[in-house]
Amino acid sequence: MATLELSHLFVRYRQDAAINAVHDANFSLSPGESLGIVGESGSGKSTLAMTVMGLLEAKTTVTGSIRLDGTELTTMTERQRDGYRWRRIAIAFQNSLDVLNPVMTVGAQIAEAITRHMALDRESADERARQLFNMVGLEAKWLQAYPHELSGGMRQKALIAMSLSCKPEILIADEPTMALDSESKAEIIDLLKRLQSERGFSMIAISHELQVVSALTSRILVMYTGNVVEVGPTRAVLEDPLHPYTRGLTYASPSIHPFRDMWGIPGEIVITEETQCPFYSRCTQRIPACLHQHPALETIRPDRQVACLRGGIVTLLTGVALNKTYRTAGGAIRACDQCDIAIRAGEVVALIGQSGSGKTTLAQMLCGITRPDTGTAVFDGRTILGNSETRRTGGVQMVFQDPLSATNEALSIEQIVREPLDILRSDTMAQRTAKVRSALQQVQLPHDDLFLRRKGHTLSGGQRQRVAIARALVMEPRLMIADEISSMLDPSTAANILRLLKGLQNLLGFSMLYITHDIALARKIADTAYVMHKGRLVEHGPASRVLTSPNSEEAKRLLRKLGLDSSYGR
Amino acid sequence: MNTRTFHTCAFLEKFSTYGKIGIAIIIILICLAGYSLFAGNDMHMIPSGESLERPSIAHWLGTDDLGIDILAQIGHGATVSMSVGFASAILAGVGGSVIGIFAGYFGGTADKIVTALCDIMSAIPQLPLMIVLGAFFGSSTANIIMVIAMISWVGPARTARAKVLSMRNETFIVAAHSYGAGFAHLAYRHLIPGIMPIMLVSVIRIVSHAIVAEAGLSFLGLGDPLSKSWGVILNRSLNFPGIYFTDFWKWWILSPLVALMLLVVAIAFIGRDVERIVDTKR
Repeated sequence: MATLELSHLFVRYRQDAAINAVHDANFSLSPGESLGIVGESGSGKSTLAMTVMGLLEAKTTVTGSIRLDGTELTTMTERQRDGYRWRRIAIAFQNSLDVLNPVMTVGAQIAEAITRHMALDRESADERARQLFNMVGLEAKWLQAYPHELSGGMRQKALIAMSLSCKPEILIADEPTMALDSESKAEIIDLLKRLQSERGFSMIAISHELQVVSALTSRILVMYTGNVVEVGPTRAVLEDPLHPYTRGLTYASPSIHPFRDMWGIPGEIVITEETQCPFYSRCTQRIPACLHQHPALETIRPDRQVACLRGGIVTLLTGVALNKTYRTAGGAIRACDQCDIAIRAGEVVALIGQSGSGKTTLAQMLCGITRPDTGTAVFDGRTILGNSETRRTGGVQMVFQDPLSATNEALSIEQIVREPLDILRSDTMAQRTAKVRSALQQVQLPHDDLFLRRKGHTLSGGQRQRVAIARALVMEPRLMIADEISSMLDPSTAANILRLLKGLQNLLGFSMLYITHDIALARKIADTAYVMHKGRLVEHGPASRVLTSPNSEEAKRLLRKLGLDSSYGR
Repeated sequence: MNTRTFHTCAFLEKFSTYGKIGIAIIIILICLAGYSLFAGNDMHMIPSGESLERPSIAHWLGTDDLGIDILAQIGHGATVSMSVGFASAILAGVGGSVIGIFAGYFGGTADKIVTALCDIMSAIPQLPLMIVLGAFFGSSTANIIMVIAMISWVGPARTARAKVLSMRNETFIVAAHSYGAGFAHLAYRHLIPGIMPIMLVSVIRIVSHAIVAEAGLSFLGLGDPLSKSWGVILNRSLNFPGIYFTDFWKWWILSPLVALMLLVVAIAFIGRDVERIVDTKR
């Protein structure tokens, strides 16, 4: 069995194109291994496959090396290459009608491939085609069918049969389940797994569907605009992605996050030159340096590689051993007891607990409104002291529970939203007003002069809460702390506010600490969840686990109560 | 210009009938005061008729024992009464507010001192205190304003302190703090606009209180003897021997009394309406 090695592989479609279709790909495939390649459409997955196969258009420039068992493939002549194609490396093409010749029967096309590459006569080739069909679970009668007479699933099986016709050592499956229904999908996945264990070939599975790749492969390679941005064991990468792009892909996949609302990666691909980070335009944690350096794939954990100047998703805020005790006439109340919390860039963290469990105290310590007795909170490398992070742009902002108290109703909308900028005194008045308008636009409120002049008390609770969010947005926060912001609103208004805030979070890329007692709601938006009980953080982890099958008693009890709530609702 | 007129009308529309009557009375008194101030004939000091004349075309409210026109004296007294009333009320209102805001915002020792001072001031009976202070500072209009302000600041101070204390816990103040707002910003943007409406009401209350207090002091002989305030007129008339044996009291005593009552009632009417208008909660 063979080992495939790619090093410093660059592919550029036309000499004058500014951007490489594949940029500095380095990876190897050991015998019997299965490797997944994922990425959005246009990320260079298929180009990579075609480059390995040597099936690119003539005008394409390929530099770097592709070695099969030490033999360099890129420098071979077309004739030499032909000896490798199909016999040692085969591809199951993307399933579509035009892959197969419409005027030849499927059987004839498979037999043609066999006679061409294996020097068999026509009769034994036909026999072999029958065996292959049997192997992929298709009846032999379909050999006489024309491509358009087969269903999508059957055509995919025929393509797999065709690719395996010359007993290759490496199989590249390009989008093997594209446009299939879920039953056919499962069938194809099972088929590929069975064939691999029977025949022992190594496999590269290319797909934009994460669940397909996760079912088929043990290692995964994440591609973005021709760049490999993350490599690692499939399970680990999908459960704990290190690159913001990988995380965005998992967030967009309902099979990985079943309860959470789906949100795609916002923004457009903007790459002006190859010396910048390709993901810059859509990244939630970009810094100016990202515009001037193209990050290389680096090992940052055993077995995990990521191409990010910041070393993968950064932790924005950490609270270490936070303690707070309130002394009252009735004795001391430990509102927060040795609380450790970490919030990463671009992440939505839900802090869940009953009323009086210390959630708000913890949140206020994290933004500096309340001073912890002991312990520290660090934001972006700086220790939080009082309002040190809330009074700067790009820092922490809090949205409060009661919208009526959070904004001064006697002021005009403009004065309310502009207040942080007035205190900051950073811009001219015209610039401040412009920022106010754009923030109001972002929270979907009117932003004309008439509305700016209206007094706060003329607005409804939901509108007031949106004004409060706009006030936080003018400070361009990198972390938004939202303290039960929907608890005082009616269900419809609350839903609108939450979707709005989550949408803004997704679009603007800030992190969010969302404090709530409502598990059902947390499931909809949270990526990570912390459960708080009597001042202690009793459990934390990925929201998909903590909010469905928690380990701690307190979290289980919250879940049971949720069941009670919904049975009342019915 | 049109919109301005419209706004003024709209503002007037907010007043009740009583409020409008109050405004009318004040305007009439101001006109009277203005006339006596700018006529320049010193009618309130120089005799212009026989002594103790009855009301007539020449002297609408008659004359006093020296033959000085009483209407002219009432007009001049209106100047004194109203300026003392408004000046001391504004002094007490502004001073009290500042003290109250500081006490409420900074709390701690400052708050304790102010609260103790307020308690002491309200425990001492006001009239004796006023008499003592009036006698101590001597009789002049400026001193009377000072004295009245010194005993009247307690109300505004307490109101301002209470309002600031309750506003301090509002989330918008917490939020403003988190943006780095200092005392100056908070006072300018939130605290002063917040106490303005209730302060207006309490200042209006002090106005009528101050007018009566000034009349009282003058009546007791602690007023400025050179001015013809309503209290001084009353003082002179009541001290005229045998005033009740004649008809003189009908114009000499009643005139300043009625003027005083009209002004106080007018201010009360306006105060009641202002209280209703500034209350945004309704």
